[in-house]
Amino acid sequence: MLERLRTDLTYWEIGPYHGALPGPMRLKLRIDGEIIVSGELETGFLHRGLEKAMELHPWPATITYADHLDPEAAVFGELALCLAVEEISGLEAPPRAQAIRVLLSELTRISAHLGYIARVGRATGAETLIHYVLRDRERILDLFELLTGARYSLNFVRFGGVAADVTEGFIERVLEVSELMRVRLKEYNDLFTFNHAFLLRAAGMGVIEMGLAFRHGLTGPNARAAGISFDVRKAHPYLGFEALDFEVPLGHGEAGRQGDAHDRFLLRLREIPQSLEILKHVAENVPSGEYACMKIEREFEVPRGEGYGRVESSRGLLACHVVSDSGRFPARIQFRVPTTATLALLPEVIAGLPIADLPVLLASLDLSLAEADR
Amino acid sequence: MKSSIFSTVRAYLYDVYLRFRSIWGSLLTALPYLWGAGELRKEVTEQYPDPISSRTADDLPARSRGLLFNDIQRCTGCKECEKICPVQCIRVDTEAGSDPTKLWVARFDIDFSKCVFCGLCVESCHPQSLMHSRQYEGAVYELKDLVASFGRGYVTAEQRMKWAALRKQAESDEVYL
Amino acid sequence: MSSYPQEASWINLLSSTLGFTPGTQEWVFAAIGLVFIYCVIILPSAAMMSFLDRKLSADFQARVGPNRAGPAGVFQPLADLVKLLQKEAASTDWNWREALWLGVHTMALYSTVAVIPLGSMALLVDTDMSVFLPFWAALVLALGTMLLGFSQASVPGWFGGIRIAAQVLAGAFPSLVAVLCAGIHSGDYRWSAFVGAQAAFPLRWTAFSDPFQFIAFVVFVAGGLVMLAVPPMDAAVSLRDLHGGVSSHLFGRRLSLYRLGRFYGFFLWSVMATVIFLGAWTLPFGLGGVLRTREELWLLQLLETLWLLGKTFLLMLAITSLARVHPRGRIDQVTDFSWKVLSPFSLFALIGSALWTGWGLLR
Repeated sequence: MLERLRTDLTYWEIGPYHGALPGPMRLKLRIDGEIIVSGELETGFLHRGLEKAMELHPWPATITYADHLDPEAAVFGELALCLAVEEISGLEAPPRAQAIRVLLSELTRISAHLGYIARVGRATGAETLIHYVLRDRERILDLFELLTGARYSLNFVRFGGVAADVTEGFIERVLEVSELMRVRLKEYNDLFTFNHAFLLRAAGMGVIEMGLAFRHGLTGPNARAAGISFDVRKAHPYLGFEALDFEVPLGHGEAGRQGDAHDRFLLRLREIPQSLEILKHVAENVPSGEYACMKIEREFEVPRGEGYGRVESSRGLLACHVVSDSGRFPARIQFRVPTTATLALLPEVIAGLPIADLPVLLASLDLSLAEADR
Repeated sequence: MKSSIFSTVRAYLYDVYLRFRSIWGSLLTALPYLWGAGELRKEVTEQYPDPISSRTADDLPARSRGLLFNDIQRCTGCKECEKICPVQCIRVDTEAGSDPTKLWVARFDIDFSKCVFCGLCVESCHPQSLMHSRQYEGAVYELKDLVASFGRGYVTAEQRMKWAALRKQAESDEVYL
Repeated sequence: MSSYPQEASWINLLSSTLGFTPGTQEWVFAAIGLVFIYCVIILPSAAMMSFLDRKLSADFQARVGPNRAGPAGVFQPLADLVKLLQKEAASTDWNWREALWLGVHTMALYSTVAVIPLGSMALLVDTDMSVFLPFWAALVLALGTMLLGFSQASVPGWFGGIRIAAQVLAGAFPSLVAVLCAGIHSGDYRWSAFVGAQAAFPLRWTAFSDPFQFIAFVVFVAGGLVMLAVPPMDAAVSLRDLHGGVSSHLFGRRLSLYRLGRFYGFFLWSVMATVIFLGAWTLPFGLGGVLRTREELWLLQLLETLWLLGKTFLLMLAITSLARVHPRGRIDQVTDFSWKVLSPFSLFALIGSALWTGWGLLR
């Protein structure tokens, strides 16, 4: 009976704009009943010509573009660019500036992870979790506003330092927020992480095998959930991360299999306490001194050469390749973003899933189309 | 382990128990919010247009980057801001004025529909005439209203000649002194 | 229609108040009764529940909730309704299939207003089948919604329609068996029999009279959630999910009609659960008997309805607050839950309550 029941393959295109997608992208699905047989991906709807635009602007103005690379985690783009430029021009950021940068980057990591948790909560229909998480991310955005004057697109990191010194009370509030976050993390766990209904939806779903992750050059929390122990902060330390004591959690597949959606979710929840640990240590030991090695004017020139800056963003290895031909304008700036690898392996992951799982899978992969299309 | 019927039933019952326990656990986490118990669980909504309960512009931190404001009296018309602006939202036209140390800023337009509030112009302003105000409510009905003009206006040819004479006068005064 | 006791019925009270002569046809009474219940009880209940739900979930989520329309935002449901009613159609072509199936499912749904038990005198239909009529309504509702989804000619519509059908079939079986359990306890399937088997004190309610009845109560409520696709079992109609569901193509007046229908299904089910398992409208402290001897029938009816509605609202609020904190299940997990968890437990409760009642009779 069942052999003769032939369901035709149906084509379904989702996007470019749809509420369940992480950004503008088009998914061309072939579905058999409810099961996705194969999927194709079309991206590029958010292409803003960011790298080209950077070539047309004086060096200090490129930072503004770098923090629009990924609006949710602006600091990482700026940081990668500044590290690359510092490598060419031989600028050395003073220790105080390094500490402020570490504070900013870890705060950004936490806020980006909180945004991720909220998106997974939204995809699984856990409304209360979304509100709790966004409420706590608000505290971090307030901190950004206190330090830099903006909540998003901070534009605060400069070549050879940061734009300004910490404001009064910033350090105390960082410590306060990191204490608060520990309480909140327990709340999220009680409410959602090991909830039976969430386990049913996420455990064992959308597994990324270690081999698949290697093949596509996957980095960041997604790769660590698949068991690849790679963190730029450990492998290529920058900003003095080599001196800091922290652990890089790996996925074990507690609820389902290693590298499934629940593992990815759990890994980010585990990275937040590590970042809090770093925050606490750095905030208590901010060295005194200058916050920048020089004031960067519009006429700032970078000598001829090439530089490469890598940072561990909230999504993985974010690198920036800068080419300068000694002038006020960059010759070429190119970013290597972590989302590209995730997008590349997406078609392999979605094959065989029911379409009802698609929103949860997309949320659990933490895609940033702004970063991938740039 | 070979699964007997008893272990299957036990696993099934345990699964059902977990299901109900997680419902109960979730509810238990959220229930204290009903009474708003303590500082940790109070409402966080900013009732924005309400000036009593919500934060106002005065509550913003010192560095907050609001709409730009140019103190035209201090502006020298050096166009540093225009050149560094990453989105070309500032347009400055100057001409020589009566004061030889600064230029007459005839036009100083900031297009807030393009501005990204990065603050580079404020950083690069040497006379510190350009600054971020605490104003953030910039909504208008028409796109062209988003352009803020701080310029002093273009002058007539007659005025221009008068200023040229004044400058000449000042220069000759300096020579005599 | 003539099964209600002529003297004690509130319809007679109503018709004499409105000045109808005793010779008026019965169907006129019935029609007036339906419209009266719909306007005076169901619509205000919908508004009130939507307001309470939003305020309660706001409290859960450390928010304020609606607070602009009227004092503390109490007129927000009204404002929403007015806004939905004045929405214009997105396209000019009239989707008559959609209108047809929306009409069919609405009519099927509201025909159960006739059987909804709201008080000892507000029983329009009280036969030994009356408890099963809402099941029929839920099935027709699902059929109408399914065909409504098919008529939309879109992927969310198709999937939503099929899923609604799958859910209603999965939920109907355990809830039916749960009703059988309660029937064993009360001895009959009339509303009045269900009420007669219980008393005002909570331990004399059917749900708490013995452990099997409690299981039956939980199964009945959960099965109803699955059947009517109420959150957190709303995988078939949730707007958040990628597949959207049937409601993703409805707007304006049709959407308000659809959502009112969804609410009414939930309300009907909660009223049924209260009447069958939670002590119905029996007033505490013997108040019902006092009022009946004093012939204060209007007051009695009013108090009974309010008491019943109060309990119903508490039950509904408990369910919605659970839905707020709980993640939504996938469609196959919802149906699995119904077939693999609710159904065995309902059968277990059926056997158990039969033995319990049998033991009680033998003793």
